[in-house]
Amino acid sequence: MELVRNWFNKLSLDRIQLELMNTAYGSGHASLSRLDPRGLLIWYLFFAIMPWFVNSLLVLAGMCLFMVVTTILSRVTPFIIFVLCLGLIGQVGWLFVISLFFGGDISSALPLLKLTLKLSVVSLASITVFSGMDPEKISDGLLALGVPAAFSFSLSYGYRILPVLFEEFRNVLLSYRLRGKAPEHPGLLYWRKGAYYLKLLVYAFFPLMLATAKRSRTTVEALETRGFSYGLKNPAAKKLKLSHLRFQTRDVLFLSGSAAYVAVLFWFG
Amino acid sequence: MSRKSLYTLTSSQKMMIFVLSMSLYGLSNMFTELIPSLQLGPIELSVEYFAFIPLTLCMLFHPFYAAVGAALGEVIFGELMLGQFGGLGELEKFLTFSFAMYVAGRIVRNPQNRTQVGIAVMTGVIIHQLCSSLVDIGKVWIGVEEFEAVPGLAESVVLVEGVSFLNDVLFSGILFALLPTLYLVPRLYGKIEPLLGIKPREKSTRYEAAGVVSPKLVLTGTLLALVAFGAESLSETDWNFGEWDSGFAEQLGDGAIWLSIGAAAVVAIIVLLAMRAKKARAAAQAGDTGGVPHA
Repeated sequence: MELVRNWFNKLSLDRIQLELMNTAYGSGHASLSRLDPRGLLIWYLFFAIMPWFVNSLLVLAGMCLFMVVTTILSRVTPFIIFVLCLGLIGQVGWLFVISLFFGGDISSALPLLKLTLKLSVVSLASITVFSGMDPEKISDGLLALGVPAAFSFSLSYGYRILPVLFEEFRNVLLSYRLRGKAPEHPGLLYWRKGAYYLKLLVYAFFPLMLATAKRSRTTVEALETRGFSYGLKNPAAKKLKLSHLRFQTRDVLFLSGSAAYVAVLFWFG
Repeated sequence: MSRKSLYTLTSSQKMMIFVLSMSLYGLSNMFTELIPSLQLGPIELSVEYFAFIPLTLCMLFHPFYAAVGAALGEVIFGELMLGQFGGLGELEKFLTFSFAMYVAGRIVRNPQNRTQVGIAVMTGVIIHQLCSSLVDIGKVWIGVEEFEAVPGLAESVVLVEGVSFLNDVLFSGILFALLPTLYLVPRLYGKIEPLLGIKPREKSTRYEAAGVVSPKLVLTGTLLALVAFGAESLSETDWNFGEWDSGFAEQLGDGAIWLSIGAAAVVAIIVLLAMRAKKARAAAQAGDTGGVPHA
């Protein structure tokens, strides 16, 4: 009850906007983000696939430790770590509790611990790479590795359009609130108020859809006048766009260091 | 006759649909990530997603571009920008989501027929949730060694996933997919299409489906089924990589290490080869840049 009230007090559109902007635009200063994105993406690919084929507790724990260190190096906001921990504990913890009901005992905990370790290695690797890195760099790296150019365009577009979209959504929502009437009593567990806001949130998308349709038409027209779809398919344009990427000594050091560490882990495991 | 009713779009119009769907669904995804869920034990009442946005767009426009745009919008706004990008795991979400939305859009022939719209919405939601539940069960199956040996685990996984499936279909599906779509589709029909310079859909409109989607769709479907089947039969035969790995360590001593390094090298080589092939193909295509440019 108290929790719900606290949550509603904290919930203001300004605050959400600030929080989102902070998460979305606040990255790119970490030490890992200076590495070459192609190397980092390959590094990530290894740590996202490998844990599923490993069953040794020692190797998994060592990998997890390594991931914790790189995550700290990439200076992720605590909010994301919190969400991750909550998700992991929630998912695996409930599995354990329910398996007790079906005749399991404490011995079911060990396999589930391994599962948790695997999941944490995979998610920490993705956090290290994708939230520490500048989105422009991610999209360049993906483009260099052969992901369709539409993806990297959408990523850049998303970062540019978000503040505009958010402002517009806010205006629509505020005008709905001005004309509407909020429920007088919040109801049990604030359900009346919650339902009211959720309903507004859904209704607000009606005008927003029309406005965004207009905007996307303008965007595409502006893109086409500059030869966007021609450049997208042109290998010369892609080469020019990616010419700033190059492997440096620190990239080689980072990749070989990781490889050596993993090799040592397997030696002991 | 067939010329008149075929639903052809210019590449710019496809791009507009794509951008519209991506930005709208992406924005809504940022909100749904922030709405807290009501947890009653293992049962979680949560606003899973605002599925009505891609569903509405898929019914009004060409479903393929709207569906792919929405799925990409989720990945970009809801995951990458909030720093929650799950990497490869997102690929599965992307595929199942865009497939389900596409199917829902294809079911509707006449956007003004409410029964059709309602059936299509529920079909889309059920397909998506069923696929993602199955994938989640599979993850535990592969991730836990000796899955069968742990008592109660199989039942509990199925129970947890089943409950969350029912919640997503009945709670999110009805409140945030069915009702809003039934409200929005008739209101937007005929209003939103002219803004993109597209004629509203009619009963007789047919999509240029065969040329655009089907081969790709069939290919991905088969590939996914093969992967699923492979994983399942692997676990059936008790031949998992872990045992294999440790067996090697006993027999060959240091062999296991080189195995792991070899795996890393194989991944790197595959990536490099893929890049090479891509480059070669791009060079080959340099001659005819007049084709379909994007999406």
